[in-house]
Amino acid sequence: MRHAGKRLAGGLSELLPGLLPGLLLLLLALSCGAARADAQVVRMWTLLSGGDGARMRALIDSFNASQQEVRVESTTLKWGEPFYTKLITASVAGAGPDLATIHLSRLPNLAGGGVLRPISAAELAAGGLQGSDFLTRQWDRSQYGGRTYAIPLDLHPLVLYYNKDLAGQAGLLGADGRLAPIVGMDAMTNAFRAVKERTGKAGLTMESAQSTYAIWRLWLSLLAQQGLPVVADGRFAYGPAGERTLAAIARWFQAGYATPGQDYPASTSQFMAGNAGFMINGVWEVPELVRGTRAGTLRFRYGIAPLPQLYGNASAWADSHGFAIPASEGRPMSPEKATAVLRFVAYVNTHSFGWAEGGHIPAYRPVAESPAAMALMPNAEYGAAAASVVYDPPGWYMGAAGPLEAIASKFLPAPLAGQLTPADALRRFETEAQRLLRKRPPRY
Amino acid sequence: MKATRRSEALSAALLLLPFMAAFVLFFLLPAFQTLYLSLTESSLTRTSAFVGLANYDTLVHDPAFWSSLGNTFYFSVLTVIPLTALGLAMALLVDRFTGDRQRAGTWLQSVFFLPYVLPISVMTLIADWMLQPSSGIVNHLLGVQRAWFSDVHWAMPVVAIATVWWTVGFNMLIFLAGLRNIPREQYEAAALDGARGFAVFRHITWPALLPVTVTALVLQLIASLKVFGQTYIMTTGGPFNTTRVTLHYMYETAFTQSDAGYAAAVAMAFMFVVVALGLLQALLLRKRK
Repeated sequence: MRHAGKRLAGGLSELLPGLLPGLLLLLLALSCGAARADAQVVRMWTLLSGGDGARMRALIDSFNASQQEVRVESTTLKWGEPFYTKLITASVAGAGPDLATIHLSRLPNLAGGGVLRPISAAELAAGGLQGSDFLTRQWDRSQYGGRTYAIPLDLHPLVLYYNKDLAGQAGLLGADGRLAPIVGMDAMTNAFRAVKERTGKAGLTMESAQSTYAIWRLWLSLLAQQGLPVVADGRFAYGPAGERTLAAIARWFQAGYATPGQDYPASTSQFMAGNAGFMINGVWEVPELVRGTRAGTLRFRYGIAPLPQLYGNASAWADSHGFAIPASEGRPMSPEKATAVLRFVAYVNTHSFGWAEGGHIPAYRPVAESPAAMALMPNAEYGAAAASVVYDPPGWYMGAAGPLEAIASKFLPAPLAGQLTPADALRRFETEAQRLLRKRPPRY
Repeated sequence: MKATRRSEALSAALLLLPFMAAFVLFFLLPAFQTLYLSLTESSLTRTSAFVGLANYDTLVHDPAFWSSLGNTFYFSVLTVIPLTALGLAMALLVDRFTGDRQRAGTWLQSVFFLPYVLPISVMTLIADWMLQPSSGIVNHLLGVQRAWFSDVHWAMPVVAIATVWWTVGFNMLIFLAGLRNIPREQYEAAALDGARGFAVFRHITWPALLPVTVTALVLQLIASLKVFGQTYIMTTGGPFNTTRVTLHYMYETAFTQSDAGYAAAVAMAFMFVVVALGLLQALLLRKRK
């Protein structure tokens, strides 16, 4: 061993002259970096992964290349509960990032809990933005207690994807080659049955494994279609309709039109492989379909429609991504940094056409209302969904991957596989979630 | 003489000091902080009010806590005895390889012990691959299509089996050490008296191993009660909380629901249960000896 060490040391001294030019180059590179050291560095945490993550990455790169004064460094963290737990603890400990992507549905939780820092109109203006730049619904969702706590980026509702080949064989297409309107629960069920019976393929595919949020989103949509709140006056207020609605969803699975227990990848690949007539999912799968069609790997023609009106109206669950500034108590953000942050946020929004190609509906009106965005396919097919979206209801325990969703995700999928009756599933859900409703909103 | 004793006491104190400091700093102090926390209404980082025993009152009437405790016991029942018995069996097997066959014994010992060195994430990944509904080797061999981790009846036993496979090597080592501590002369004397086979095990090996067994059982019980990672990763506590153990429930209340005060109450109650059970078990087993 010692011998080997000696040989290595000897080798190193011989190597050094060879290394010197390299070292000099390195020093030179470092000093060049120092020339940009006065640039404001914005540290961002994002929960965007997959296609969304790649799109955000591209936006960050083009922003960094577009100017010298601000450099955004982003870190991607695991989506869901771990992301928010980390954001909350880091922000409270004063170690949060300068900027974070969040879901607007979490605003009552994050802003109400003191995790975020309000953004003033003057700061917005310094970045080149104002409230009226954004679609009303998303902008309203960015406010908490009369102040702005987030800047919306998009809207991503639940929509109905369909396989035109299978739907056509099942006689579900209109003369224009698009899905004939489906109205009412029975019509939807009949459509699934028609696909199953005429083509032998599944009528519907959607994420249905234990701990999925998908069933909660669909259930929430259908309750909203009946004008029923989930929670009112600190109590669960959906009543018997909640059970009926969950039972109706479960029946699709029990009747064999859809497979229960499928996790997310299994559910989407069933649709992508042409093995299901319909898929209920968020718009974020759009890029995968566009890509498949372009590459010729998708062996069928597809269409996308807003979630059908199965009850009284056409409500559909949606959420929005937005940018927020963590409070990072004891480490207040300098005005220069705040301006730098907002310059980046403004850049992303003005360039959010690329984001729309990810399936999302942009929140920034100049982009959302531009002819190019209006004509963008397949987005135009489901653009109407934006008019009737519902977010998670307000409440500190609500929102994406929030405490209540976490509990709902455990019980609501169980009736699909017949593991619990809908009544039993909801009873257990309420028993456990009750504690959240009674609790005072936490100040983190 | 007196001076020597005093200096001895002094050096003893000096030597004890680092341990005592660490013990107070990293165990005693946090334990008392947890106790205090459990008497307050607190979010993750902020204490808002002293509420006395209110959290404990909630706890007693909280079905989620009791069901999580039930799940923890169920897991312990499924693991403690098999882990101890299997560990003993493996040790006996390895111990048979002596003399010329020593190398084979060492090889076998490594094979039995290897899974124990895996990090929990790797172990759960392997178990997950093997148990996949459509592509897993277990279903392939059994000729079924079961989604083990979302099956109400199978989820916990499957987690238990994976845990036994993962950790049994450690118990084997404990038993092996115990076996090798038994003086060879006893076996020679027994052989001279004509004892063989099971009689040797019953009258020499087993009595000598009893203290080791008691230790293994107590350690195993405590380890099994502290289960968290396996169920958290493999089943996320599902299906519908049938595999959610107490530590998992504590984690959820503290981090998902940001209710640190209540989580501390869960922790204190659970600590009480673990200590009580450990003491009870130790007492019962000692008495029998």
